Amino acid sequence: MDTEEMKILEMLKPVIDPELMVNIIDLGLVYGATFDAPGRQIDVALTLTSPGCPMGGIIIEDAQQTLESNYPGFNVNINLVWEPAWSIERLSAKGKAELGFS
Amino acid sequence: MNQIASQNAPSPKVVVPHFVFGALTWLVVTILIIFHPEAFTQHYFNAELLAITHLLVLGWITMIIFGALYQLLPVIMEVKLYSETLAKISFLLMAIGTILLSVAFWQFSFGTLMHIAGVFIVISVGLFVANVLHTAHSSNKNVIERTFIVSSVIWLLFTVLAGLTLAINLSHPFLKVSHVELLKLHAHAGLVGWFVQLIIGVSSKLLPMFMVSHHVNTKKLNFSFYAINIGLPIGIVSLYMQYKIGVVFSAIMVVAGIVAYLSFLLASYKKRVKKQLDIGMKQSALSFLFLVIPLFLMFTLLLNIDFLNRLTLPLSVAYGSSIVIGFITSLVMGQTYKTLPFIVWLKVYQGKVGKVILPLPKDLYSEKLAIVQVWLFAIGFGFLLIGISATNTTLVMVSGILLLLSVALYNLNILKIVLHKPTNK
Repeated sequence: MDTEEMKILEMLKPVIDPELMVNIIDLGLVYGATFDAPGRQIDVALTLTSPGCPMGGIIIEDAQQTLESNYPGFNVNINLVWEPAWSIERLSAKGKAELGFS
Repeated sequence: MNQIASQNAPSPKVVVPHFVFGALTWLVVTILIIFHPEAFTQHYFNAELLAITHLLVLGWITMIIFGALYQLLPVIMEVKLYSETLAKISFLLMAIGTILLSVAFWQFSFGTLMHIAGVFIVISVGLFVANVLHTAHSSNKNVIERTFIVSSVIWLLFTVLAGLTLAINLSHPFLKVSHVELLKLHAHAGLVGWFVQLIIGVSSKLLPMFMVSHHVNTKKLNFSFYAINIGLPIGIVSLYMQYKIGVVFSAIMVVAGIVAYLSFLLASYKKRVKKQLDIGMKQSALSFLFLVIPLFLMFTLLLNIDFLNRLTLPLSVAYGSSIVIGFITSLVMGQTYKTLPFIVWLKVYQGKVGKVILPLPKDLYSEKLAIVQVWLFAIGFGFLLIGISATNTTLVMVSGILLLLSVALYNLNILKIVLHKPTNK
């Protein structure tokens, strides 16, 4: 992952799952990001903790708006993916601590 | 992009009135308990208790379940609600029908008013059932949760049709069985067939989702479904035929089904990712503790223990109260904090991210008020049970005051959520 893609993941840290109250990066919901400077295109692969997750719409909207405001003039695509399914192993150490894991 | 659940959500105008009507009805019931505590210390076939019970089960619990289900069906079945218009008509008919029915019971008059109320309620339920079945039909999610929900709404229809039949039988007797026995049949079809099954269907999807519990085996829920849906019809027929062994067998089957469901919930709880439970989940957990009380009372009543014979009537009232007020009401109050803030939050903030300050759904209500509300409720319910068992109207009245305070705080929080406005950046 190059520096710009690392920057994108960092920018997405203020986006939180409103039910779990943990950001989507530490929850491991973001599977990857690609940055295409000449094509002015950003693609983010995002999953949810559950396919029925009613918070999905707002999480996507928040992520999209965050990147669009940081990269004016870029086309931002948030792609919702279900494979591989999200699991507890994707939580970062910080995410686990915030959820109360000992 | 795959379709996401929030795109299927119905308009809050369909959902929110159910919550407001339900919360206000529960408030009215607590006032009735304070001024008429004797309703709980007589034979359960008395005017005030029949009115209070129907306000609770139709105006409060069923009303909130209708509203919540319109929001939750799209989450569970991953499709849009079939018709918002049917939902609005059903709401109006249920609201009017419940008020008329309660007035008729309060006056202990079983004539035209009660029949009109019954017809309103039956039509309301008919529209609701059509809406749920159409929605379920358009979903390809053939999961056990859907089976429970479909079965529960059919039991609801049976319950209200049985209720209307009883109302007609009261003014124009045509059934040979004692009315008190028929009342047990009607009550258990509603309590187990409708409420318990609906709770199992919805909660077995939502509670693991709220706790983020993955890979929980749902085989126990399959057992639970068959145990309840074999046990309950046997119980209904046995009650009608006055066949005691059949009733006992039915009770064992139904309780086995409920225990299998509780075991599923426990497995979900142990596998949860979200370790800390919020106030809504804590009150929901409390309701499952309360569920032990009616299960214990049911077998106590069925066993006909000699020295408890003189307590049969108070224990019967305690049994019904511990299901309706203890278990179901507590669960509904707890789950209100898990559903209503989200419904309003979604309505207020979807499409406004970045333009306004984005709070969390839990910021839409006061957690402090909710904590006090839960404590007042738990103590009030304790007083109610003791008051009923000891046939002491003073204790029942005290319980009514504590429950009123609890429900007033609950209503304040509902109002705070419903009237929430966004703050510009």
